[in-house]
Amino acid sequence: MKKIIFIIIYLILSKHAISASEELKNKIYKNVRCIVCQGQSIYDSDTDFAIDLKKLISKKLENGENEKQIYDFLISRYGEWIVFNPILSFHSLALWLVPFIILVIGSFLIFRFNYKKKS
Amino acid sequence: MLFGYIGNLALFLSLIFNVFLIFSSIKIIKNNSLVNLKKINFLNNSVFYLLLISFLILIYCFTTSDFSNVAVYKNSHTEKPLIYKISGAWGNHEGSMVLFILILSFFSFIFFRSKVSEQLRFYTIFFQAILISIFLIFLIFTSNPFDQIDPKPLQGLGLNPILQDPLLAIHPPFLYFGYVGFSLVFSFTLAGLVTNSFDKSWSQYANFWIILPWSLLTIGIGLGSFWAYYELGWGGYWFWDPVENASLMPWLSATALIHSNIVTLKKDKLHSWTALLAIFTFIMSLLGTFLVRSGILNSVHAFANDPYRGVYILSMILLITFFSLAIFIIKNPKKALNQEHFFLQKDNFILINNYFLIFFLSVVLVGTVYPIILDAVSGRSISVGPVYYHTILAPFLFIFLFFMSHGPLLSWNKQDKFLQLKNIKIFLPISVVTLLIIIFWFFDQKDITLILGLLFSIYLIISVIFDLISQKALKLNFGRLTSHLGFGILIFSIFVNAYLSKEINTSMKVGDEIKIDEFTIKFSSINKNKKDNYEEVFGNFLVSNKDEKVELSPSIRKYNQPAQITSEVSIKSNLIADYYFAINLSEFEKDKIMVRFYFKPLMFWIWFSIILIALGGFYQSLRFKNEQKI
Repeated sequence: MKKIIFIIIYLILSKHAISASEELKNKIYKNVRCIVCQGQSIYDSDTDFAIDLKKLISKKLENGENEKQIYDFLISRYGEWIVFNPILSFHSLALWLVPFIILVIGSFLIFRFNYKKKS
Repeated sequence: MLFGYIGNLALFLSLIFNVFLIFSSIKIIKNNSLVNLKKINFLNNSVFYLLLISFLILIYCFTTSDFSNVAVYKNSHTEKPLIYKISGAWGNHEGSMVLFILILSFFSFIFFRSKVSEQLRFYTIFFQAILISIFLIFLIFTSNPFDQIDPKPLQGLGLNPILQDPLLAIHPPFLYFGYVGFSLVFSFTLAGLVTNSFDKSWSQYANFWIILPWSLLTIGIGLGSFWAYYELGWGGYWFWDPVENASLMPWLSATALIHSNIVTLKKDKLHSWTALLAIFTFIMSLLGTFLVRSGILNSVHAFANDPYRGVYILSMILLITFFSLAIFIIKNPKKALNQEHFFLQKDNFILINNYFLIFFLSVVLVGTVYPIILDAVSGRSISVGPVYYHTILAPFLFIFLFFMSHGPLLSWNKQDKFLQLKNIKIFLPISVVTLLIIIFWFFDQKDITLILGLLFSIYLIISVIFDLISQKALKLNFGRLTSHLGFGILIFSIFVNAYLSKEINTSMKVGDEIKIDEFTIKFSSINKNKKDNYEEVFGNFLVSNKDEKVELSPSIRKYNQPAQITSEVSIKSNLIADYYFAINLSEFEKDKIMVRFYFKPLMFWIWFSIILIALGGFYQSLRFKNEQKI
């Protein structure tokens, strides 16, 4: 009986683990640019480049590398352009900063507009 | 050959007439003799007709496959169906620029017949003529559509197969009517500024000229998105690709403009802001043109190899921006009267609407332009993908929707806290109950972003319905209600679609049947088909889940000119979801083909809501037109 329960639990867990790794794999595929295509990720492409890269990434995952290690490897080989999500660093700071500066200036203007008119 | 010369001549003549128009206008301004506009009218008409002639000749060159013309040679082929020969005329850089200028001139042409005061009309045509000249010089000297090759090639290079599509034949004209339509708003604004008549009556006329191109642009963006959905074959309809962003930016800016112009019209305030937005909207259109037309998007390096076009457009934009802003600063429109102002008042909420729209615009603008600048400056190329936009936009979208639900229900002149509180007490419970029903009955997803997205879009839809029921002036507000309802449905559908789409990627051979999740896919047969410009292999599939059974026949096409393989998707659509199927040749398993199946919920509603949004705009512009006898 214990054995059966153990097997069932094992099956459930392993199934879960497979789908989780599958999910991670797809997540990485979707975030890696197919550099020979126009604006597509390797997930959305069947070019040789995309297929090779997909194989490479799934191999690296099997070898136990994590997401970040894989991105680092890809970036060192192809440049930062290859990942779709800009990594937060000094030169991508403007990307996050500019909209928020606009947000702050806008709030200030609206506030002033309301405050001034009331007085 | 002969026709090419005539076309070229027409282009040159239109430039000469146009320059002539500018000089006679300057003379009129100098002598202050704004009495007889007959000459201006004649020149203005001539420019339009000449451009029309050259455009028709270009189409003629394409339909008769006159390969002595470089543009025809590069983009056409004798074995192409007639419709694509015609649409090929604007499916390339040169031809699309001719269309661009023709539309610029078309707006001048019809504007001259409007009932706006003579002075405003004169100055608007003047500024518009300057724009036309700038673009004509660009066209004639950097991308002439009538360049000749000698000896004449026997056959053309063909049009990229993914552009051989009926939708893509009409997508650019819509987009251009939108983009370029804002040029008139721009010229009209400058005219209003220099004549010191940027006031209520200005915005009354401007209403029509803003909303019409906005509606056309909405349709244009929708068509582009629809094309990407069924032609690219990856089940997506918006990729945050720079080309798509280029069309979204003027749309966002124009949406803000529509709203701020209402305040200028109703309350005679926000003049400066409305003027600034009007200028900015056209600059966004120009930026979009630059991004798409300069080749800079493919890579900064490709741009650097052939920089003439790009550099010209870029300096053109800078010039136009500089001078229009200079006029704006010198002639800054009058300050608002001191009126009573409350927080819970319609004009304040329109300001909030503008605040969010400008924020959304800045996100899209930075995400699109920053990587290009970074690459040009430091040589580092980074990508900005969907996750950036989603992360940064989503939370603000929710607040935006909330304000959008209440703004239209506020009064222009007084504030009524209790009424709004009462409204919240009605909307909130209804939306929460609706949301709970949807979540528990239809799907098992507990993602917080999804729940908030659905909640606020339902909230908006309910507020619009409530507004519609209690509406006393339906005719007046029908356009706004339609567009806002459309927007609510759009956001709702986008969220459901984003979180509930499913996809299956696998490889199959004829006779296979597989079962993944709740879907069973059966590959029943293949058949072949041959057309003039391509051969096609169809795969016939049967897809079923517990409540639906659909037959799908995607195909692979092998085009002959140019030799290229494309994958054509097969979509079965109903009100609940799309069943979307695509096949590809497999590199590794010769006897199998790669299949991709997508289950895309509420796609119909995404397209439908875009049409609703545009319809609201068309209704509104017609109403303005009838009211003001434009």
